[in-house]
Amino acid sequence: MLQINHLYKSYGKFQAVSDLSLHIPKGDLFGFVGPNGAGKTTTIRMVCGLMLPNAGTIKINGVDALANQKEIKKQIGYVPDFFGVYDNLKVREYMDFYGSMYRMHSREIAQIAGDLLELVNLSDKTEVYVDTLSRGMKQRLCVARALIHNPALLVLDEPNSGLDPRARVEMKELLLNLKSMGKTIVISSHILSELSEMCNSIGIMDHGHLVAAGRIEDVMDDVFGSNQLVVTFDEGRERAVRIANEYAGVKVTSVGEKEMKLSHSMTKQEIAGMIATMIENEVVVTGFHRQEGNLETLFMRVTENAGAQEGGNDYAESNR
Amino acid sequence: MLNPIVKKDVKVQSRSMRICWGVFIYELILALAFFLAMIIMEQQIRFSTSNIYSAMVWLYPVLALTQIGILGLIVPVRTASAISGEKERQTFDIMLTTSMTAFSVVMGKVMTAMIQSMFFVIASMPVMALSFVIGGMSWGYLFGFLALALLVSLFSASIGILCSSLCKKSISAVIMSYIIYIVFFLGTFLPYLLYEVALMNAAYSTTQTTNAALTYTYGENLYLFLLVNPAVYLAEFFGRVMTGESVVNTFATLTGAHQTKGLINHVATGSRWMVISTVLFVGISFLFLWLASKRIDPIKRRAKKRAKKQMQQPDMQVIVQENIMQKPEDGQ
Repeated sequence: MLQINHLYKSYGKFQAVSDLSLHIPKGDLFGFVGPNGAGKTTTIRMVCGLMLPNAGTIKINGVDALANQKEIKKQIGYVPDFFGVYDNLKVREYMDFYGSMYRMHSREIAQIAGDLLELVNLSDKTEVYVDTLSRGMKQRLCVARALIHNPALLVLDEPNSGLDPRARVEMKELLLNLKSMGKTIVISSHILSELSEMCNSIGIMDHGHLVAAGRIEDVMDDVFGSNQLVVTFDEGRERAVRIANEYAGVKVTSVGEKEMKLSHSMTKQEIAGMIATMIENEVVVTGFHRQEGNLETLFMRVTENAGAQEGGNDYAESNR
Repeated sequence: MLNPIVKKDVKVQSRSMRICWGVFIYELILALAFFLAMIIMEQQIRFSTSNIYSAMVWLYPVLALTQIGILGLIVPVRTASAISGEKERQTFDIMLTTSMTAFSVVMGKVMTAMIQSMFFVIASMPVMALSFVIGGMSWGYLFGFLALALLVSLFSASIGILCSSLCKKSISAVIMSYIIYIVFFLGTFLPYLLYEVALMNAAYSTTQTTNAALTYTYGENLYLFLLVNPAVYLAEFFGRVMTGESVVNTFATLTGAHQTKGLINHVATGSRWMVISTVLFVGISFLFLWLASKRIDPIKRRAKKRAKKQMQQPDMQVIVQENIMQKPEDGQ
């Protein structure tokens, strides 16, 4: 759906985006994460045709975005990080205005706007002035506005900033709903916990570079490793450590009062065998699980080591 | 299909009380001009044999020039905030991601300004009609005035839009608009003034024969700059309406421009000056609009070509070093 190749953008001597390569498949809900000034908004603005890159290509559905702006504008719905509303304009007129900007007929606009307003739970507000709506309602209206021309790609820049918890939940549900309809969505946000609940893939930017990208599980595996095991027990700590160390390819990384962490290169059967041996040796094993990271720890890990990590799958092709 | 921006802007502005107050103040100024003109006429007639009705035709240029003056002052203020206002309201980026071209956006804003201006002008018709009903002016001149008001609105709006696209703040755009006005009003007089000074210097420092040779050469063609002088245009328009004579033709005869060589000899005859001047003002207006649309277009054509060229080069790192240096936006 969205293919970015070797994208560069500089402001004077400041390199905002450097050698960004990214591929987002159709139907993905892609979360764009990064600290302030990382280059997320610059990238989004270039994708939406609001800024010209210094070098690189952007393709949407195989169409060159820079050479075919007219065609591309029909395929993108853009929701910026602010509410672009007019005083003295009603919700229905707001939708009508943007529909007519895509050269749609008024009957077609009325029909689609009705459906979209229902989708965003604003169907009872059609005759209400936009500036009287709450922040959350305005943001949902912005999403409905961005969908008026039925774009294939929806791009949202910090859509949840400044929203109250209820509005955030509603926005999350709306985006998941759109995802289930097959829309490809790119969303940039600082609220990592929400992104991890919504997105199936992420891209982490830092200092203009894409430092990690891909399906969330894959990125987690790349960063934390898939061979981290946590074993919890009530009794027999020393015996448990000794047994673990007897297995080839196992390294005990930390030992606590009632848990120990291992890095290993064992198969599932070998892990089961090791746990069974511990139990046979009177270690009271209360549980064991693969060590999971979350998006926050992933983000911190990746951004603190910016430059060391590289995207390792078909999402990212960072060439630093 | 009506430009969506015009439809939206007219609808939004018609719901605001500002437009009502605007019309009220506009009418008030016209009424004051009307009463002032009446007092002056009454004083003049007291010492002459002519009656007040024949003098009332002069209400036409007084009221028309008052309106042109107001339009010339307010249209740049309204349009100077057209683009910068959208930016301040943060709706501009959304607008540019739609199928609207940058030129359509600019045209939408200009047409809104022109419709607003004509709304004011039409609202003033009852006052203007006095010079037609009582003064006996031909109704054809009414349409002439409407056309003039349209031209003034287009010209002023195009200056306002251009400045709005160049400046980030509305107030800077307004100031820049008035500076451009000064350039058109006074700047276009400069070549003529300098030439006259040069002629006078020559007259004092050379013999009579050399002076004559200096006068009737190509020098008078510098008067052609006055084709884009709004004051000269208005003088020509009202001169023709009120006296039936061309101010420019009289001026050309007096200065000897009719005897000179070059374009001026052909342009300053009959109604050619008026026609060419009108075409030039319309042309300049569209040039300004085109420049404004290029200015607001985020993907500028030239930059796009350059980007394509760069993409064909193999070493991206080299490209980055040679990049177009641009000012930071949005802190990113």
